[in-house]
Amino acid sequence: MEKNLYGPKSGEGTWLWLAKIISGALVAVILFIHLVVNHLVAPNGLLSYAEIVKYYQNPIIPVMEILFVTLAVPHALIGLRGIILDLKPTRAILNGINWLFSVVGVIAIIYGVWLILTIASRGA
Amino acid sequence: MSQITTQSPLTRAAKWFDPRFRTVNMLGFILNRITALGLTLYLFLHLSVLSQLAVGPGGYDKFISIIHNPLFTFGEVLVVTAGMMHGLNGARIVLNSLGVAIRIQKMLLIVLLSIAVVISFVFAVRMFLV
Amino acid sequence: MTQARWKVTFQVSRKKEETSSHFDHFVVEVDPDEYVLDAVERIWAFQDRTLDFRHACHHSTCGACGMRVNGVEKLTCITPIREVTHEGGVVRIEPMRNFPVISDLAVDMGVMYIRMDNVGQHPVNLDSLEAVQPEARPAGPDLHGEEFPRLSDCIECGLCISACPITASSPEYLGPAVLAGAHQHGIKNDEQVLRMVDCEDGIWRCHSAFECTAVCPSFVEPGWRIMDLRKQVIGIRIKQLFGGTTARKIDPQEASK
Repeated sequence: MEKNLYGPKSGEGTWLWLAKIISGALVAVILFIHLVVNHLVAPNGLLSYAEIVKYYQNPIIPVMEILFVTLAVPHALIGLRGIILDLKPTRAILNGINWLFSVVGVIAIIYGVWLILTIASRGA
Repeated sequence: MSQITTQSPLTRAAKWFDPRFRTVNMLGFILNRITALGLTLYLFLHLSVLSQLAVGPGGYDKFISIIHNPLFTFGEVLVVTAGMMHGLNGARIVLNSLGVAIRIQKMLLIVLLSIAVVISFVFAVRMFLV
Repeated sequence: MTQARWKVTFQVSRKKEETSSHFDHFVVEVDPDEYVLDAVERIWAFQDRTLDFRHACHHSTCGACGMRVNGVEKLTCITPIREVTHEGGVVRIEPMRNFPVISDLAVDMGVMYIRMDNVGQHPVNLDSLEAVQPEARPAGPDLHGEEFPRLSDCIECGLCISACPITASSPEYLGPAVLAGAHQHGIKNDEQVLRMVDCEDGIWRCHSAFECTAVCPSFVEPGWRIMDLRKQVIGIRIKQLFGGTTARKIDPQEASK
């Protein structure tokens, strides 16, 4: 119980939490723009392949969406990890989760960025 | 404490979602947790479904025609509601953690959740009537 | 005290070592202005001497009589029966949550006491060191600018720990009482306590449910203290990033500002 005085490294400290809230705040802002722009401003609400490709020709859009996926995925995974921490997993399980989430997160971001750039290039 | 650790993770996790005999603040906690889980699920679903875009017009437009279905629209309204609640409640938590507005946090919670509901309602109307 | 007498049924949670927990029903004639603890004592005295429960000061100073009344954490010595039921009503009495039950309504609070010790919670404090949320309540009497020692707000009743949803799933979480104690002790000049709170079992495990503040019978406001600890820890860690020093021994009277 008092092992956290001298014991193993903490599973969550200030920096991870700050990463969660900063990414959360930025996600909130970008999500708002994402919703408004994608579904209220964009013609027909981006409901066909052709529209989306055309829409992604404006360079601001891919930049915004890349930012979005790079922030949303870590926020979700850090948050999910926090929920798991509330169940006090063993060190071994926590290390497994850290590894798994890191891998899933990196893959998701790479995939998202790839998808965005692919769609943007389709209109060239 | 030993009586708690002998309980299974599922039993312990279930306690988070029991709103009985609790204040409205607990509702905020429960909603934040449920929306977090729902939105995470949605995020990964959304990412994988958008792979249809890479397939081309055949894949994506077909997908769109499938989801032109009131059930999916309702699901999307739920996502918007979850996003609004989670985001606004999250804003309250961030403010509190920086020492701001703690005195009024209960009222803030009620106000923010109400705003979330109103915005979601506006979205719902737009999505179902357009 | 009024002249009224109510007949109230008390559903009391019972659990002895050998048995599993169940409810016993006791019908008690009470004066509605009496307190729930009075009824429990009377049940013990006149109906069932095997009922185990804790009580001491009977005026919200010792923190012994915390229980759940109709599902809500209460300090039973200051909970009027009138507040929780009506004539002919039923009152459910259960032990606090998130502590192992020793017997009936008595729970094992040893872990909490040890942790309070570890974070340096002081039962007696100089008035100026008992930090209060700004504007929460007026400052104490001004004794010509002197500071005077007084009992700390926290009576270590454990109601906040019982109410906390995170303690329910993670017994290693220090909990609101202990974190409030750390806040009272001060983290700016105590590296050990700083490390205890800045970790996964400390302030970062709180999810702002504020159930702790809702049930605190004293004026501790643990929810605010945990949030204030966050603010302090973030400040300290950022300063450290830019080359500030870690724990320093400073005059304790400065630390509370």
